[in-house]
Amino acid sequence: MITITHYLILAAITFFVGMAGVLVRRNAITVFMCIELMLNSVNLTFIAFSKYRIDLDGHVFAFFVMAVAAAEAAVGLALILHLFRHYRSVNVDSAHELRL
Amino acid sequence: MDATTIFFYIFAAGAILSSVAVVVARIPLYSAIALILDFFFFAGLYVLLSAHFMAIIQILVYGGAIMVLFMFIIMLLNLREEHELITVRTHHAVAIILSMSLMVMMGTALNKIVDMNAVQAATVGTTEDTLVAVPSRVPGLYGALDEASLEQGFKSKVSKWSAGTAKSSDGKYRPVDPSAPTVVPTMLSGGTPEHPEPASFGTAEPMSLLLVNRFVVPFELTALMLLGAIVGAVVIAKKRL
Repeated sequence: MITITHYLILAAITFFVGMAGVLVRRNAITVFMCIELMLNSVNLTFIAFSKYRIDLDGHVFAFFVMAVAAAEAAVGLALILHLFRHYRSVNVDSAHELRL
Repeated sequence: MDATTIFFYIFAAGAILSSVAVVVARIPLYSAIALILDFFFFAGLYVLLSAHFMAIIQILVYGGAIMVLFMFIIMLLNLREEHELITVRTHHAVAIILSMSLMVMMGTALNKIVDMNAVQAATVGTTEDTLVAVPSRVPGLYGALDEASLEQGFKSKVSKWSAGTAKSSDGKYRPVDPSAPTVVPTMLSGGTPEHPEPASFGTAEPMSLLLVNRFVVPFELTALMLLGAIVGAVVIAKKRL
């Protein structure tokens, strides 16, 4: 019998795998993909709660999270593109001076 | 062990393995491919949770649009293989230990939301279509729920609200007024002559009705946000800022 706890623990595992990736990796694009991973596991939590409370609000919230993730990916990748043009690298350590 | 349980464990193992692959892959393109695989496993989990509409949106938006953007940037920048993971620095160990300990903390906390023994005890001897509410820290949470009882619970909620016998506490499901000349299509349309059957849980119909009724303001604001993101992305990615 699969309960909500199974889904919540799976979401926690993938969230912290993504968090470890954000902290460990220095490649800006990989860091970005790990952020998408974390957003996705939060969505899983919303949808799991939505089912086990028989309430569709969680689905709607996950829908908005996806829209925000799409907008964030577009702007973030444009920033990474600009970073690469400036430093010829996407290593996040190369952009630690907070100026151009 | 029924099919849902088997599929849950297949999708869960796939999701965990592919998310680990995203983190440890040295070439960013391999990370992106592992991430696409991960999104597909999550879509499978959404189907198991009766979130059919969200599963399709997951594949279309995440697996399609967002990952195409990622692949495009990775190939545009033509990044070479990096050797950052071979040299284990101190902060790698600190980061991994930090996230693992947080994971264990969160796992033990989540484990207490639903009492597993109560679920086991409550489901013994019940029929297939019985809702089993177990004591939990979240009000209104069902411990064990199969497809039939989910559908039954959703339909009974919808029909109760549409009959006006029970109002939801925050008034989000408006009862349909029978004397109104034009019936606004709400989620409650089940029970009216035009819509004899309420829609199933998690399909496109109740989702779209919610999005254009109760959540219409955030839905329209999302359009504005996406417009801002498009303009912002074009402005930032220009050669001369």
